[in-house]
Amino acid sequence: MTAVILVAAAFLVLLPFVYESRNLFILLTQIFVFSIFAMSYDLLLGFTGIVSFGHAMFFGIGAYSMGIFMKKFEPTMGYFLLAVLVVIILTAVVSFIVGLLTLRLKSHFYAMLTLALSGLFLVLAEKWRTMTHGNDGFTFRVPEQFIDRTHFYLLCLVLVVAVFLLLKRFTNSPLGRVLQAIRENEQRTESLGYQVLHYKIAASVVSGILAGIAGILYAISLRFVNTSVFSMDITLDALLMTIIGGVGTLVGAIIGAGLIEFAHDWLTALAKEHVIFERWIIFFGIIYIVVVMFFPKGIVGTLSSLSWKRKKQQAVKKEEKAAG
Amino acid sequence: MDLFINLTLNGLATGMLIFLLAAGLTLIFGLMDVLNFAHGGLFAWGAYSGLWIYSETNSFFIGIIGAVITGFVLGILTEKWIIKPVYGNHVQQILITLGLMLVLSEMLKVIWGPNQMMASPPDYLKGSWELGGIIIIKYRVFIILVGLLIFAGVQYVLKKTKIGLVVRAGVMNKEMVQALGINIQKVFMYVFMMGAGMAALGGVLLGPYSGVIHAGMGMEFAILAFIVVVIGGMGNFKGSVLAAILVGLSGSFMAYYVPDLSLAVNMLLMAIVLIIRPQGLFGAKG
Repeated sequence: MTAVILVAAAFLVLLPFVYESRNLFILLTQIFVFSIFAMSYDLLLGFTGIVSFGHAMFFGIGAYSMGIFMKKFEPTMGYFLLAVLVVIILTAVVSFIVGLLTLRLKSHFYAMLTLALSGLFLVLAEKWRTMTHGNDGFTFRVPEQFIDRTHFYLLCLVLVVAVFLLLKRFTNSPLGRVLQAIRENEQRTESLGYQVLHYKIAASVVSGILAGIAGILYAISLRFVNTSVFSMDITLDALLMTIIGGVGTLVGAIIGAGLIEFAHDWLTALAKEHVIFERWIIFFGIIYIVVVMFFPKGIVGTLSSLSWKRKKQQAVKKEEKAAG
Repeated sequence: MDLFINLTLNGLATGMLIFLLAAGLTLIFGLMDVLNFAHGGLFAWGAYSGLWIYSETNSFFIGIIGAVITGFVLGILTEKWIIKPVYGNHVQQILITLGLMLVLSEMLKVIWGPNQMMASPPDYLKGSWELGGIIIIKYRVFIILVGLLIFAGVQYVLKKTKIGLVVRAGVMNKEMVQALGINIQKVFMYVFMMGAGMAALGGVLLGPYSGVIHAGMGMEFAILAFIVVVIGGMGNFKGSVLAAILVGLSGSFMAYYVPDLSLAVNMLLMAIVLIIRPQGLFGAKG
């Protein structure tokens, strides 16, 4: 598995030096941004077992903070780093407070409350016109280091790998193990003496910060930000990517992001030829329902459990041979 | 005074529409422990199918009947195919009903086109009465009356009939009802069907009230209905009507005095209720 990932990463690093296509790099950058976002969502959904409907709020905080910094101050590297710092602090504080208030609640209530809270952020972005320019949003200039698309592409790629390794490490740490225990059986984890709430808050803070970083990259790649970054659609995208790719695998989130962004791009192009493709969401909706019902582990999970079964069968055969 | 009465009537009418959506949601949650995120989709389907039948047949009454039947059919199918396989698994329920919501609202666009659809009340409900200088719009009164009628009807069924007794007992303790030899699966289906029918009724009534309908309205109203369900207490039918009126009135008054904050106030209200009193303002049990 690791070898496959390394080869894929090496291929993606070399790609810009051998192949020129502006559209492809914009698409790939977009995929990287959403990979980070979907992985941060996977930490909540796949590893801790909580469904948040308000993940867009951290994404939006990241995107808007960066946009506002670049617009109100100079678009230099210094201000960029300052903005990143501000985003990390803001998302950490917001996710901490949200987690403290909401994570005590049962899954239904939590989903609804996060939905409501991200709705509040959407309203704030719409109404605070002096800062956000309301619905229309605003464009801004980016630091000169990011003007070259290839540089930015490589930066995003590096960040995807970094976030992947970080989360891999995080979920395999003792803390990550407790999170998985919470996913499997919350009462039992609690009765073993773990403060479930503290662990859940930790997961939500890490996830929130990473989502904020994805938001930053999104804003920089578009050089434009509007209220859509706070919309329910952003959360839904992360949900679809994680579920279709496979929850609790991290790689699944990346594959899901790739598939959905790619299909989105492709189907939008097809829509110009045939009207039925304009409603591409419907295909995703149906695929999504089928996946939740029949393949709750998603692509990666289903594949790895298949190969696990095969290995087991082979092992059994070997044993039989040895015994026979 | 004129303004006050008008805002009150407006708030009550909106409240009744939200109530029609929230009533099904709260009963389904109380009885089946399922939070149906696709409920708004059923609401929008009621609106589209009802108004389409209304424009084809030129009879608003037949349109309403058609919408309710659409709701029933969709409700039965949803319960059978989508909800039943995931009973008991909360995370999967949330995910799958959300997926259904996507499919339902996109299907609307496929069938009736992505544009808004205009709607106006039939002639006998158009216009307004004038009482001592106060103008009262007929259609709003009509919505309030329908809402009250439905409330009274459901309340009667819950309190006075055998099936109502089973439903109320099921909300309290599902296993016990099953242990007494009652086929609760069948009751689930009826409740889901009724809930979907009420949502569809709310949708078709909304059309002429707001003038236009669009596929995104399902989600908008579903959020309001969730707020109502939380404030009223999950599974609490009476609580849902009180909370719906509260949310409707606060929405209508806020929209007039502080339009920027009308949605935010309701969301804040829900957040506060969830944090301080998760069992709901009017609920005794969580």
